[in-house]
Amino acid sequence: MYKWYALKRILRGLFMYALLMFIFSLLFNQVNEQTQRSQINEQVKMESVKLRNMKPEQMTTWRTGRYDQLVKLYKLDRPLMERVLFRAVNTITFNFGKSTIIKSSKGEQDVLSILLEALPRTMLLFTTAAILETILGIALGLKKAQKPGGNLDRSTSFVTMIIYGMPSWWLGMMLILLFVYVLKLFPSGGVNSVPTPAGIGFVLDRIWHMILPIMTLVLMGFWSLSFVVRNIVLGVLQEDYIMSARARGIPENKVLFGHTLRTSAPPLVTMALLSLLSSLSGAIIFEGIFSWPGLGNLYWVAVQQNDIPVLMGDLAFTTGIYQAGLVLLDLIYGFLDPRIKVGGKA
Amino acid sequence: MDKILEVKNLRLYYHTSKGAVRALDDVSFDLYKGETLGLVGESGCGKTTTGVALIKMPSPPGRIEEGSHIIVDGRDIMPLPDRDIRKNVRWEQVAMVFQGAMNCLTPVYTIGKQMLETLQEHRQMDKVQAEELIKEYLGLVGLPTEVMGRYPHELSGGMKQRIVIATALFLKPKLVILDEPTTALDVIVQAQIINLLKKLKKTFDLSFIFITHDLSLEAEVSDRICVMYAGKIAELGTNQQIYGDQGPMHPYTEKLLQATPLLRKKVDTLSYIPGTPPDLIDPPKGCRFHPRCHKVIDKCRTEEPPLLEVEPGHMVACWRCGS
Amino acid sequence: MSMKDFGYRLGEFWADFSKEKSGLIGLGILLLSVIVVLMEPVFLPYKDVNGNWRDITYWEDNPPAAPPAWTNLFAREKSAITARLDKPVITEEEDPELGMVRIYSFKYPYHYDKSPLDIILRAKGSGMLFMNLSLERPDGNTIFLGQVYQSDLNDDQVRFAVDTDASSAVYEFIRGHASEDAIANSDSSTIKPTNILFAKIGEDMLSARNALKGDYYYRVKVPMSLLENEENKISDLKLVVTGRVSGVLGTDTAKRDLYSGIVAGLKWALFIGLVTSVISVLIGVMYGIISAYFGGFTDTFMSFIFEIFVSIPVLPVLIVLSAIFKPSIWIIIAALIVFSWVGPVKTVRSMALQIKEETYIEAAKALGSGKWRIILKHMAPLLLPYSFANMALSVPGTIVFEASLSLLGLGDPTIITWGQILHDAQSSGATLNGLWWWIVPPGLFIAIMGMTFAFLGFAMDKILHPKLRTR
Repeated sequence: MYKWYALKRILRGLFMYALLMFIFSLLFNQVNEQTQRSQINEQVKMESVKLRNMKPEQMTTWRTGRYDQLVKLYKLDRPLMERVLFRAVNTITFNFGKSTIIKSSKGEQDVLSILLEALPRTMLLFTTAAILETILGIALGLKKAQKPGGNLDRSTSFVTMIIYGMPSWWLGMMLILLFVYVLKLFPSGGVNSVPTPAGIGFVLDRIWHMILPIMTLVLMGFWSLSFVVRNIVLGVLQEDYIMSARARGIPENKVLFGHTLRTSAPPLVTMALLSLLSSLSGAIIFEGIFSWPGLGNLYWVAVQQNDIPVLMGDLAFTTGIYQAGLVLLDLIYGFLDPRIKVGGKA
Repeated sequence: MDKILEVKNLRLYYHTSKGAVRALDDVSFDLYKGETLGLVGESGCGKTTTGVALIKMPSPPGRIEEGSHIIVDGRDIMPLPDRDIRKNVRWEQVAMVFQGAMNCLTPVYTIGKQMLETLQEHRQMDKVQAEELIKEYLGLVGLPTEVMGRYPHELSGGMKQRIVIATALFLKPKLVILDEPTTALDVIVQAQIINLLKKLKKTFDLSFIFITHDLSLEAEVSDRICVMYAGKIAELGTNQQIYGDQGPMHPYTEKLLQATPLLRKKVDTLSYIPGTPPDLIDPPKGCRFHPRCHKVIDKCRTEEPPLLEVEPGHMVACWRCGS
Repeated sequence: MSMKDFGYRLGEFWADFSKEKSGLIGLGILLLSVIVVLMEPVFLPYKDVNGNWRDITYWEDNPPAAPPAWTNLFAREKSAITARLDKPVITEEEDPELGMVRIYSFKYPYHYDKSPLDIILRAKGSGMLFMNLSLERPDGNTIFLGQVYQSDLNDDQVRFAVDTDASSAVYEFIRGHASEDAIANSDSSTIKPTNILFAKIGEDMLSARNALKGDYYYRVKVPMSLLENEENKISDLKLVVTGRVSGVLGTDTAKRDLYSGIVAGLKWALFIGLVTSVISVLIGVMYGIISAYFGGFTDTFMSFIFEIFVSIPVLPVLIVLSAIFKPSIWIIIAALIVFSWVGPVKTVRSMALQIKEETYIEAAKALGSGKWRIILKHMAPLLLPYSFANMALSVPGTIVFEASLSLLGLGDPTIITWGQILHDAQSSGATLNGLWWWIVPPGLFIAIMGMTFAFLGFAMDKILHPKLRTR
């Protein structure tokens, strides 16, 4: 039954996420602790400034005392495994701590808020691009499958091969060069112009800023999807039940869009989502090129500013999104394929 | 007796980059109303191809060549446009039960949806009426109506076969082509399906073309038998003429029957036909069977024997028999 | 599989492969690249680029951010191209001021519209060195540029650059020719010497740029009296006329010749791509076979490990790792392998499962073949062809990964890769300043490499695709 399948899959996903967070916590332990210790030092310093009426020796005693107190709080004095576990639990519960330098637009240094601010921007860009890519990819793939080996098929496959190894961010750079420097049509980056217009102008301004990055993403993205779609659909078209449907008098467009497409749907959707997930990696660089202040861009900034907490938090978020994507994939596949949805024999 | 089907000079070639594969090369036969004609032969001899040719659905790069005539109930379907065939001939007049019903149903639609789709494509019916008809036919083939809500993978082979048969019949075609309808089923289910077919044939006054490689099955169901070899007809005769005591006339048919071990007779060695089926791009000169024939003479190697009537209703293409 | 078998299979494969045009193109480009890498010195105008990429002094004499030389073809006003003159004509003369002198003359033909950016004289000297430098123009005027005087040299380099060292001398020249107003509004620090040196004389000399075309002679005068002392030596005189355009692919803001950078980066792209792909695919294939063959608990356990790796988003983790641990290229390659081996595993495992059921495997077992013998002798050879196609197809991805890391500045700074060149471009604002020759070539070559392996891989995949089911 589907419900069980879905439940099992989600649980497995959560378990995988927890496991990965634990591994990361272990791997990056040293760095994290270094940062934490320096942050504690900062905190102690700040707090001690506010104290008055204390003699120097008292001050020192207080400081060391407070330092030890905080160390205990963050469990830095416990054995290795306990520390790692503690941090892993924190990460899983989205308790990321404070950043070293980076601030959110409200001036906060809470890593979680910084991340949450960046998240919707990334989602906006990539979801839009994803939808466009999927539509174009499926449409082109279907057309190619209708006349395999024909001119459209071969020429588009050729293009797919040519851009196979092209970094999407380089294409972004090229397009910026062309559209921003030469043609002066679009802004070079960012989410909004400064000053930001209001009302409908805000929306239009946002869209204007989105056009170039989305164009780049879509231009690169739909080719390989169409190639995969073509292969899947061709495979289905050769099946007996398609011929049987035709023999039964079902008109061609129903055979194509109904029987063929619907049967291709599970592997097709899987492939579309997979290619999307893999483009998530490229997204990081991509956002940087366009100065799009999303999760990917945060990596750039965090690396440049050496802000470890933000980096770790971003990694946790990214891994989480990735994992969620994988789980979603299996769930959708199971839903679309009646062999899984409904289960075994009657 | 009326002829429900006349096939004249049927040629079907597959045009590949390596040459034309002559899958069917000048095949002619008739089918009378209410009879079962069996098509027999080795794998690749052209029997399934004949089936798909009769509903004008050769798989690319196959093509039915000029000069072929397929006359269904008095009307030659060759010159008809595809749209016409789809609406009026296929499934309405001629239906086909494909080989391997296991894979004949789209896995993502329920049985009910698929049968409904087929029915509504051909008849103006609302959903309720259509479902009633479907239920009726499901009952005829011995299946419960709840099958309609199931997906193909949930059903057994035998059940799927019955559904395919029901779908083939509910438009009341005159001619049904059955391509290996029982091959993948176990013997008991096989017997059930055969009995079902016999019953339906009687009830609806159908004519069958029964394609199989199983000679004993053929003997049981067919009125007349057509033996094919390498895209041509080797022998065509009544059940009695082929399987009867005097035996068949064509050496190939002879060997085929010999190769089938009898249930009650002691078998020391299995007899077989030496050699392999010929290359259909460049078939042997003269009689296509001559390289493997145990009765070959010189003439067989150079001249192709025509299909001649050696006794009433019995046609043979062999120099050694009655020419 | 014996050598003869192998040879036969190879021949069969080649017969099929040569029918694929795209595959042949890919193979051709690959072979060309290998040749370039092997014969790198031949293709490099700056032979020591590999060690000196970060050394400013090595590139001192180049113009910064200069477009490629061939852009001149498309420009209305031709810019001077960097020229290196190292064979001066040596004469000895009586000079009115300095007595007997040895003159080193460099002839520089100038027929461009836009003047060079600098004229740099280099020499090696020992003991005491005195040089008087002047430039004779086609219009007959000789401009005094300056004098070099150094002592206690020990085979050291001496350098005189007109742009920095001759401004006052050139200003003097102008005062005799340009208009009063112009002179009043300027001083020696505002003029660019080379603009003046190569411009026609006129009142508007300071602002207009009327190029004076013809042969220029750069003269280095060394008093003979100096050279008679054996301790004083002068040698290796070279003149670099720094043009506004330079090289095959121009220069970056740090004056580095980009063409040399690209050629040097080629070997790393190939190396990183091939090593990572080959090793990771081999690991992946073996992993799949072992997992399938042993089955049971081993299979379950291995599948579990596999799932963990699959759930890791590669680039983010690589970025974080690189940011923290700042690894060398070898560690980066190792990390890439660690994350990439998962690719072929699923397919290989299902193929291996099929092979496992074949009767000849059972026969081999019955004959007493050990597990490893079966795996290596029977199963692996069947899956190897498929893995070749897989290897070719993973190379582009690997190259892009490394390029992405370098782009972020996380690559290995001791080597030159195309990604690094792009990183420098991005951080120097090349996109916004229109320095297209800095941005286009590195990425273009990454894309071409990717395309090459895509062609190869797809051609191979077409031929070698698992035909196991039709056996």
